[in-house]
Amino acid sequence: MSQSVQNGKRVEQFIPPEGVPITFAIGSIGSRLGAQILDIIFTAILIFTCGFVIAFTGILPSNVEAMLIILLGFLVRTPYYILSELIWNGRTLGKKITGIRVINASGRRLTPHQVTARNLMKEVEIFGPMSLLASIEYQSAWENGLAGAWLLVVVIVPLANRRRQRLGDIIAGTLVIDNPRSVLLSDLALTPASASSQAAFDFQPEHLDVYGKYELQTLEDVLRDSTKTSNHKEIEQIVRTITRRIRYEDSVKSGQELLFLNDFYRAQREHLESLKLFGTLRENKYHEDTRTETRRLI
Amino acid sequence: MMDIGIGDRREMGATVNVGAIQTDMLRSARFRVEREAHWRQLDDLVTRAEKGGAAALGYDEVRNLAGGYRQAMNSLSVARDISLDRALIAYLESLCARAYLVVYAPQESLGGLVTRLLVQGIPQAVRRSALPLFIGFLALILGALAGYKLCTSDPSWFYAFVPPELADQRTPDASADYLRSTIYGDDEHAGDRLAAFSAFLFSHNTTIVVLIFTLGIFVSLPSFILTFYNGLILGAFFAMFARKGLGFDVFGWLSIHGVTELAAIAIACAGGARLGLAVLLPGARTRKEALRHQGHDAVKLAILAALMLIVAAFIEGFLRQLIQDPVWRLAIGWGMGVFWVGWLLLSGRENNVSREPVR
Repeated sequence: MSQSVQNGKRVEQFIPPEGVPITFAIGSIGSRLGAQILDIIFTAILIFTCGFVIAFTGILPSNVEAMLIILLGFLVRTPYYILSELIWNGRTLGKKITGIRVINASGRRLTPHQVTARNLMKEVEIFGPMSLLASIEYQSAWENGLAGAWLLVVVIVPLANRRRQRLGDIIAGTLVIDNPRSVLLSDLALTPASASSQAAFDFQPEHLDVYGKYELQTLEDVLRDSTKTSNHKEIEQIVRTITRRIRYEDSVKSGQELLFLNDFYRAQREHLESLKLFGTLRENKYHEDTRTETRRLI
Repeated sequence: MMDIGIGDRREMGATVNVGAIQTDMLRSARFRVEREAHWRQLDDLVTRAEKGGAAALGYDEVRNLAGGYRQAMNSLSVARDISLDRALIAYLESLCARAYLVVYAPQESLGGLVTRLLVQGIPQAVRRSALPLFIGFLALILGALAGYKLCTSDPSWFYAFVPPELADQRTPDASADYLRSTIYGDDEHAGDRLAAFSAFLFSHNTTIVVLIFTLGIFVSLPSFILTFYNGLILGAFFAMFARKGLGFDVFGWLSIHGVTELAAIAIACAGGARLGLAVLLPGARTRKEALRHQGHDAVKLAILAALMLIVAAFIEGFLRQLIQDPVWRLAIGWGMGVFWVGWLLLSGRENNVSREPVR
């Protein structure tokens, strides 16, 4: 299992038996913190409602009530996390809302042992420091120092490793990942605009030799942005830049900008894809420089 | 994998014809049009499996899921090579990741989990942890001995060891009659207060046990110290009652739940010690691996400690007030002890043939 950083996101790569590497984005510290806070709120609400129900119905003698509420407070802590992660396969309610989940670092199923181990360590990493922080006024200076050191260790561990594992994750061998969401956007090469008015703009091979994959995909992002119409300033700017860079002679009429960009996208993609098929991958517009550079190196 | 690619091409004959009409389509766009229906079908299946588990799918659907998964993987592999459509690749990446999790990391079945844990997991883990258990009980016994010695020589040590909310007016200065009344909750009022006190004691003990276990990761010293300190409190209490000539009575009073409860504390300490030993003496493994390895048994010890604590809480909450005779208290307390020992030593033995530890 290898790790790397892709576009600023930490990813974990698995190679399934099918041999095609798949990647998972490691859950960010922020979403994990959010999930934890949500879970604490949910369990607190649960304790309070149960406490109120027990106190107001008043069928039970007071000592049994006290016992029940204390038992409840105990059961709602670690067992809540263990049970919810077991039942929902690595997702507590908070994790569901923030869109993260726990997986086994080996890529196989999450075992009950792992779930228990990682959540038992929550006592050290979250509840322990929390209760120490709550009683910070009543403690002596060295006790506060100790609490601070403890907190520091607990915070540093997930920040210090690449997979953002906290102590419990390390012991249990688990990872927290962003739950992958799949949305299939339409294929820009098939949009009706270009399909109906066939090749309103003609591009020669030399026009298409300028840009690479990065520029193509940036253009894709621009075209997918539905807020931008033909007369948008940015679109006009892009059209002007492209026509200048590729030395496109015909002028693009006002109102035809998006059509031009669509056609250019399609032609450019076709060109780059056929190049790629024959083994030439152009990462970006500096491909000429890199080629000469490698030649020089050889 | 090849045959699947060929197979679906044949199945997809109708769509291929649609593609053939639009001859001017890009190769990657045609690739996508041909397979999109299958991806969407897989997407539906995966979404349903994510919501309700693989059990929510029927026989045919599970078969489609497996086939669809392999086909999507195939598509992803091809798309990475031929397509520059970022939306397509991102979709396939996430679809394959989700399908992978559904296919290879499904939910563990929870049926029989508890029985397996009770019959095999926990007893076997206990039998594998002789040294940590020795450390745990040693800490408790050493603490108790030290507390007893110190408090018999100078009762003022009691105030140093026992936090006031735990002592609850039972101090060396209290009269023998008062102390006797706390052991045998005769009147209604004392019984009421005792129950509240036992509730407090339960939450105190769970916190202590959780701390003892989890702090073990810091090279097991905090576990040892906390357990030792609990021993000190115990010894100090015992010494205080013994000085007033109530030694046998307090022994019975402590035994009925204490055998279970103190054993739970020592076992939690053993669990902590296992974690600590993994950090301290990882042996041939790296520390991370050693922690993971020891974690299996340590977690089972922690679950055992939690179970014993809950049992102790029930004994404390109900039986201690009901049963006033010290002999019966002793019998129940040590009877529970014999039950625990018997369970932990004897259960799950017949599986010795398969050496695979149950996880």
